[in-house]
Amino acid sequence: MPEGWDDDELLAALGEAMRARQAVPEWFVETGKNAYAWHNIDADLAQLTYDSDRDADTVAAVRSEAASIRALTFTSGRLSIELEVGEGSLIGQIVPPRAGTLEVHTAAGVTSTSVDEIGCFAVDPIPNSPFRVRCRTEDGTDVLTGWITL
Amino acid sequence: MERYAPLVWSICARFGLSNHDREDVGQNVWLLLVEQLGKLREPAALPGWLATTTHRECLRVVTASRKSERLGTGLDDALQFVDNTIIDEEILMAERNAALRAAFAELPPKCQQLLAMLTSDPPCSYAEISAGLGIPIGSIGPQRARCLERMRKSSALAGLSDADIHWAKGEHRA
Repeated sequence: MPEGWDDDELLAALGEAMRARQAVPEWFVETGKNAYAWHNIDADLAQLTYDSDRDADTVAAVRSEAASIRALTFTSGRLSIELEVGEGSLIGQIVPPRAGTLEVHTAAGVTSTSVDEIGCFAVDPIPNSPFRVRCRTEDGTDVLTGWITL
Repeated sequence: MERYAPLVWSICARFGLSNHDREDVGQNVWLLLVEQLGKLREPAALPGWLATTTHRECLRVVTASRKSERLGTGLDDALQFVDNTIIDEEILMAERNAALRAAFAELPPKCQQLLAMLTSDPPCSYAEISAGLGIPIGSIGPQRARCLERMRKSSALAGLSDADIHWAKGEHRA
């Protein structure tokens, strides 16, 4: 420790450091801790390979009158997850089709829904915070998407 | 998270974000951090990465809300918030504060109680401290000096350079 600080200065600096920490609400710190729980999840990561918002920019500029549906595709080596943002809910399908369980993970927690034998599922309501989707099929495939913000 | 939450929070505060937007920014920053953890091999790079990422996320939120309100030109206005000197100061400040809190945490409980009362805002009087901690008023001064000396010698503060401290002193005078 350098000799730089006298008692009053050290005390003042400490007070400032404590107040900087106290200014941060607990929920803000919790958000971070929840995010950290994601570290070390053992699933294949599916990359975003199509996003209608991103990939259809040039088309939208031409025919902007259509209220288009947002569509996303995530692809991993073993399966793809297709998502469509509808009114109030999120519907999707696993390709190639098969049954399983679909989990929606947000910083706040996890909800799960079933995937039917033709690979279809619905998530209701649409998550209003960043989320990621994890799909576990009956044949043991485990796939996780990147973070999605709608 | 404990160590760096104040850095992320203070940057959000400087952008004047609402609590809802701060939650949005915070979530994204932490989620991005978790994805980067494997790649950030050098711990010293973490505060800089966090500050830069938080700035970018704040700009995104500010720009998005301006677009929806159709105010200004969005990004051009928002960019004036970004000043590398300010970011560097925020990082330095966050590191210094985190080191001070770590040094405080290493102190024995009696020292922590005393220093907490001395640094509270508004500060406690010696009479209140004496009553609260059950120590004579006359011994508060010497104990304060002993606790601060102990803190000064802690390993948590050993990493701070003279430059950090001189810089911090300048801040206090300002």
